[in-house]
Amino acid sequence: MTLTATSAPAVRASTPHRKPGARLMPRLLSRTAVNGVLALAMLYTVMPLLWLLMAATKNMRDLFGTNGFTFGRTFDLGPNLAHLFAADDGIYLRWLGNTALYAVGGAFIATTLCVAAGYAFDKLSFPLKEKIFGLILLGVLVPASAMALPIYLLASKAGIVNTFWGVFLPSLVFPFGVYLARVFSAAYVPAEVIEATRVDGAGDLRTFVSIGLPMLRTAFVTIFLFQFTGIWNSFFLPLVMLTDQHLYPLNLGLYTWQTTSLNQGHPEDYLLAITGSLVAVVPLVIAFVVLQRYWKAGMTTGAVK
Amino acid sequence: MKPGRLRISALLASAVVSLPALAACGGTDSGAAGAKPGPDVITFRSFVKASDVVTAAFNKTHKDFQVKWENVPSGGDYYTKLASSVKAGNVPDVAIVEYNQLPDVVSQGELEDLTETAGPVVAKDFPPQVQQLVNLGGKTWGIPRDVAPLVFFYRKDFFDKHKLEPAKTWDDYTNLLEEVKKADPKARGGIFATADPGVVAALSWQGGGRWYGTEGQSWKVTIDDEPSKKVAAYWNDLVLKSLVGTYNSTSDDAFFQAVQKGEVVSYLCANWCAGGLQSTVPDQKGKWAIAPMPSLDGRPASAMLGGSAFTVPKGAKHPEQALEFIKWITTDPEGMKAWLSSGTSSMMPAAPALLPATGAFKTDFFAGQDIFSVVSKAYESVPAGWTWGPSAGVTGTTISDSLGKVASGEAKLADVLTSAQQATVADFKSRGLSVAQ
Repeated sequence: MTLTATSAPAVRASTPHRKPGARLMPRLLSRTAVNGVLALAMLYTVMPLLWLLMAATKNMRDLFGTNGFTFGRTFDLGPNLAHLFAADDGIYLRWLGNTALYAVGGAFIATTLCVAAGYAFDKLSFPLKEKIFGLILLGVLVPASAMALPIYLLASKAGIVNTFWGVFLPSLVFPFGVYLARVFSAAYVPAEVIEATRVDGAGDLRTFVSIGLPMLRTAFVTIFLFQFTGIWNSFFLPLVMLTDQHLYPLNLGLYTWQTTSLNQGHPEDYLLAITGSLVAVVPLVIAFVVLQRYWKAGMTTGAVK
Repeated sequence: MKPGRLRISALLASAVVSLPALAACGGTDSGAAGAKPGPDVITFRSFVKASDVVTAAFNKTHKDFQVKWENVPSGGDYYTKLASSVKAGNVPDVAIVEYNQLPDVVSQGELEDLTETAGPVVAKDFPPQVQQLVNLGGKTWGIPRDVAPLVFFYRKDFFDKHKLEPAKTWDDYTNLLEEVKKADPKARGGIFATADPGVVAALSWQGGGRWYGTEGQSWKVTIDDEPSKKVAAYWNDLVLKSLVGTYNSTSDDAFFQAVQKGEVVSYLCANWCAGGLQSTVPDQKGKWAIAPMPSLDGRPASAMLGGSAFTVPKGAKHPEQALEFIKWITTDPEGMKAWLSSGTSSMMPAAPALLPATGAFKTDFFAGQDIFSVVSKAYESVPAGWTWGPSAGVTGTTISDSLGKVASGEAKLADVLTSAQQATVADFKSRGLSVAQ
């Protein structure tokens, strides 16, 4: 808050036409503007997180009785966490496990498929290649939530509604990842290398596994992170697909708590939803911290070339 | 690089390997029950609190069939899910539906007609003002569980200190609001909820308005009828004079903060607010009380803000058992006791004979006042004749979209009703429903 308040007048004060330090002013001006925008962006992302962090340390009384961005009168993170993990016979841990399985398992298999397909589209030639690729691009254009109902009806015919597979199988499909993998493959896997392996007598599969895949490690991590967060955040598909709360992913479980919390006068669940949301953020942060060095390393590879 | 990659892929691999195992154990609950030649298992979809308690209580005392509860999110998503379940033929045997959504759900053909089986129960055990909420087009579609009559919540300590009394008529209420403001310039004796169109509907209902009805084979929509406009003008005036505070709703953070700070010392809400209030502002224990809400002429009158019924979705596989279960949880004293066993729920049973079950509610927050005698009198005083219509959702959004402008003085509440009227009629027509002019 204070940051925006001070940076805004600074921008306004320096706008009128003034001559002294003509060379210094524009630089200062642009720096202020850039920092101002960055500060706003930071506030936009950090404030809700700060609120979440603070709210999770409060009891019911302080949650509604104290400023949202400060600590409450007592520090209740411990009891809140205990309540969270004990609620409904520890259903929260089950949801956490489900989400990990849907997101990690789903993203891993989806990424493997994407990288293999992208590599094939780039390096191999087969009939109707560009037509099939066009079909995949079509898949990129349709938003996932628009597909949820048709997928549900198909799943219903297949008899996998309200099962693990109903949510897991659709998450293996990631057309944008195929497109990305093709681009990565074109940039990272030189055609000469592939030719060399062919000369040495390696088959297409062997070439992909031993040569292509290691060179596409960056693509793998990038696509994995995309699909991982995609599945982690996917909401509408599990919503229509699942009715057994033991199969719920985290966000659907938290949403159930949140929507029922104020229903019929039971705001206790509100605190559960808050603490649960905070804990749910942790694995995502860990995933990014652990995997980002692969990502960063990949982005600069070939920069000198 | 290499060890790191190995570690990650090992982790991923183990996750994938353990996957079918976990998937299998997720399926056992439902799978085993269907495979074993034991009692039938029916499914029960509900988002209201204590659904788990009720299910467990039923399963303990009934051996001929068992019930499996499906915990699902509430709100608009619930009805989207119900619609897609019906479309795909994966329906639960029992599903909760709120009164204001019931006509919509019925008009989409999502429910079984229960006239033959539940009709007599509804006619025998429930008063006319709630019968009309589940009997639509001459058919019965569900059995009511709870009702939600409006009552007046007030801070007894504040009222006693300033020698104030709960108002009998709306004119008295205006005076009361002025007195409250005089006694403490920061305090307000009422609120205007800018995100809850249900309150506008309930106040119109109490004031004699009827938003939906039928005329022969056509629907009749009269959201901007004279009584509703009168109610709208009254509240519009209170808002412009700043005699009431404006908040999103009675379950909003800002609202509870204001209650905590003593900036809201009284307000109108349904009985279910009691439970929410006592668990959110425990500091004010013993300071609150409940009275009947004001009315036009001082005679008791109330209206409902919420409430729900249980229905059997179209294509349910165990309709007979479903009905037996529904009857148990709505009209059996044991079933009702299970709903209220936590002692923190201030739900009001729709069947008046089950009123004793509310004795479980601990009333120390209200200094021991018998709040349910006030609530049940309010229930009795709800005027009959109100029904909801299939487009209640459209009506609601049109109204709530403009309530903020009413609060800031940019729009008039009566005009908002008129635009809701137009939007609702347009929606009826687009669904191919005939509307009488």
